Amino acid sequence: MFKVIIIDDEHYAREELNELLEETKLVEVIAQCANAIEGLKAIHSLKPDVVFLDIHMPQVTGLELLSMLDPDNMPKVVFVTAYDEYAVKAFEDNAFDYLLKPVESQRLHKTLARIKSSLELDKIQQTEKIDYSPVLNHKLELIPCSGFNRILLLEPNKIEIAMSEQTGVHLLTDSDKFTASLSLKILEEKTELIRCHRQYLINPTCIREIKLLDNGSAEIITRSLHHAPVSRRYLKLIKDRFGLIS
Amino acid sequence: MDLVLLLLQQLSVYLVIAYLLSKTPLFIPLTFISGRKSHRIACYVLFSSFCILGTYFGLSIENAIANTRAIGAVMGGLLGGPLVGFAVGLTGGLHRYSMGGFTDIACAISTTTEGLIGGLLHLYYLRKGKIDNIFKPSVVLSITLFAEIMQMLIILLVAKPFDQAWLLVQSIAIPMILANSVGAALFMSIIQDKKAIFEKNYTAFSNKALRIAQRSVGVFSQGFNAVSCKKIAAIIYQETGVGAVSITDRDKILAFIGVGDDHHVCGTVISSDYTIQAIEHGEITYADGYEMAYQCSISPSCKLGSVLVIPLLEADGRVLGTIKLYEPKQKLFSTLNRSLGEGLAKLLSNQILAGRYIQQQNLLNQSEIRLLHAQVNPHFLFNTLNTISAVTRKDPHKARKLIQHLSQFFRSNLKQNIEQVTVQEELDHVQAYLQIELARFEERLCVDINIDEHLLVLNIPTFTLQPLIENAIKHGTSTLLEKGEININGYFSKTNKETLVILEVIDNAGNYCKDGKNIGLGLQIVDKRLKNKYGPQYGLVMSCKTGIYTKAMISFPLINQQAK
Repeated sequence: MFKVIIIDDEHYAREELNELLEETKLVEVIAQCANAIEGLKAIHSLKPDVVFLDIHMPQVTGLELLSMLDPDNMPKVVFVTAYDEYAVKAFEDNAFDYLLKPVESQRLHKTLARIKSSLELDKIQQTEKIDYSPVLNHKLELIPCSGFNRILLLEPNKIEIAMSEQTGVHLLTDSDKFTASLSLKILEEKTELIRCHRQYLINPTCIREIKLLDNGSAEIITRSLHHAPVSRRYLKLIKDRFGLIS
Repeated sequence: MDLVLLLLQQLSVYLVIAYLLSKTPLFIPLTFISGRKSHRIACYVLFSSFCILGTYFGLSIENAIANTRAIGAVMGGLLGGPLVGFAVGLTGGLHRYSMGGFTDIACAISTTTEGLIGGLLHLYYLRKGKIDNIFKPSVVLSITLFAEIMQMLIILLVAKPFDQAWLLVQSIAIPMILANSVGAALFMSIIQDKKAIFEKNYTAFSNKALRIAQRSVGVFSQGFNAVSCKKIAAIIYQETGVGAVSITDRDKILAFIGVGDDHHVCGTVISSDYTIQAIEHGEITYADGYEMAYQCSISPSCKLGSVLVIPLLEADGRVLGTIKLYEPKQKLFSTLNRSLGEGLAKLLSNQILAGRYIQQQNLLNQSEIRLLHAQVNPHFLFNTLNTISAVTRKDPHKARKLIQHLSQFFRSNLKQNIEQVTVQEELDHVQAYLQIELARFEERLCVDINIDEHLLVLNIPTFTLQPLIENAIKHGTSTLLEKGEININGYFSKTNKETLVILEVIDNAGNYCKDGKNIGLGLQIVDKRLKNKYGPQYGLVMSCKTGIYTKAMISFPLINQQAK
């Protein structure tokens, strides 16, 4: 038995897939999510073995969700789509698992069998990670954030500082503070934010001043007067980036 | 009395000459009053000659001449106007003067006066807009009578000695007045006959051409092909009565009808030198079968004896094909049909071009409708099938309903050639679509339809509303995490000038501005078809407030509906 999450925006589609999966008695469906943001949270909190991921979803598509996941801690992904010539072509080309709606149970069985053996193989040896990059966006257009009882999608260029704290990854804009559902590492990779500290990312377009400190480190003050520490290691990189001679 | 007979004898010769001349093209300008310089000169030359002829044919009497000179002068004035009349009279008068005699000056003056009288009558009728009256022999008779009486008076007044003049007038007055007026009337009647024949030919020609034009309208809207050419060939064959008619493209016979259709078979490759020549040079070729021999290139026993080959030209002068008129060996080509044939080629060339234009227009419209059909998006279809597949497990009844909606949706999509539907019918189509989408999105979609019921019976182009709603869901509400709302409204809006019918579809996503204001092909077609039908000021207008709403609004006038 392995743990499965279904992410699809259509109620009946989730229900149908759930039924089919339950019938196989090979898996346990631990969550059903109605959109990518819920899905992202569920993946982070529930750590499923497999995600059945619909591609067309509101605001954040399945592929965008995928690009928000840490490649090193990625569950197995099975794409599910009703019709998408280009995506399906890409899946074929890259030998990704995918299912077409309405899902055939035979095909589902095959897919599960393949995942099962691959999961078992993973336990014995470190297998090669599947590279999803051909179908992924290299930059994120929206960063899902959770607030009080609401979901917010933040445009990356609004972020001045991103910082990793005990309570999660926090994003500072000119006036607000949000909790992101993404790791700093993903933010660094998939946005224009740059690293200035082990726990901090900074938006280079929002820097107002870089205050050099005696111990060789520095502090960045943003346009909205947020402060971010700059460690010695990253100060050099930042200086290089702005063409400053150290 | 003798003099009357003699003068009438002279008159006969005079009129025979006039009649013979009327057979020549010289006469044609006389039959129409055009006021052109060429017409005036023709009048002057011709009638001056007749004037002089009249003097030569005159009989010498007592040192004077009894003559028919007045005919030329009066007719010249009548047909050519006062100026020509004066000139003709003067020419005739001077000629008479040169011959001497005691009435020489009197005759010169009177002839000039007579020309002028004719001219003044011409002017009178011209002013009154009744210029055709001058062709009436009775009018000519009266005016010549009057002119001759004038002449007699002038002789009495001018010629000296008076006694001699009085004697002369006594003997010549009646014969001359009689001969000249009758002569002029007969002369005019010759011209009138000529005019009538010419007009009759002309009318016959115009009628034929018009009838062919009328009957052939629209035939080429199906394209320049064997079917349309066959129809056209039949029309020409019936209307012209020539032996046979054939239409070819650049390579082969497209249509043939008439004598010799046993071996002039459609689809046969062109072999006639005349046709090849017409196609190569883009010019008319004509073999009358007399000066230029014609022999059918297909069969030696062909009964056709002459041919007229006229190229059909494209707008850029390229030869599209030919139209060929044939006459059998025992019959000659009428000039009427020859010139008609040339006109026909021009007419047909134009019709082919117009036809091609209409055809392309139709194709465009059809392909646009097909495109709208094709826009039934496969994503929608497969998702629907997936929904049905899920619903089947739990609620077979609902599944059956959904399948019915889906089939209704596709059925109305397949009604390809219907141009117009009522708002109600379009709404039914929309409902079938919406029921499926509502099942798919369940609690995430809410649709409110609010349409004035008087609007339901109005006609709109097919697929006007459905693309808007599909658009609102696909690019609007389906992208929302929160609940999607769609409002479909229909109402009348009165402006000062007219009553507008407004149909609008509003979603609460407001993605349209964000998406760069590019409306999809589906919506473009909706807009275009409305504009085509109602005018550029109507059609589809999109408006939007980011994140709040996108509104697609259709407007068209109510008036056109009734006139439909």
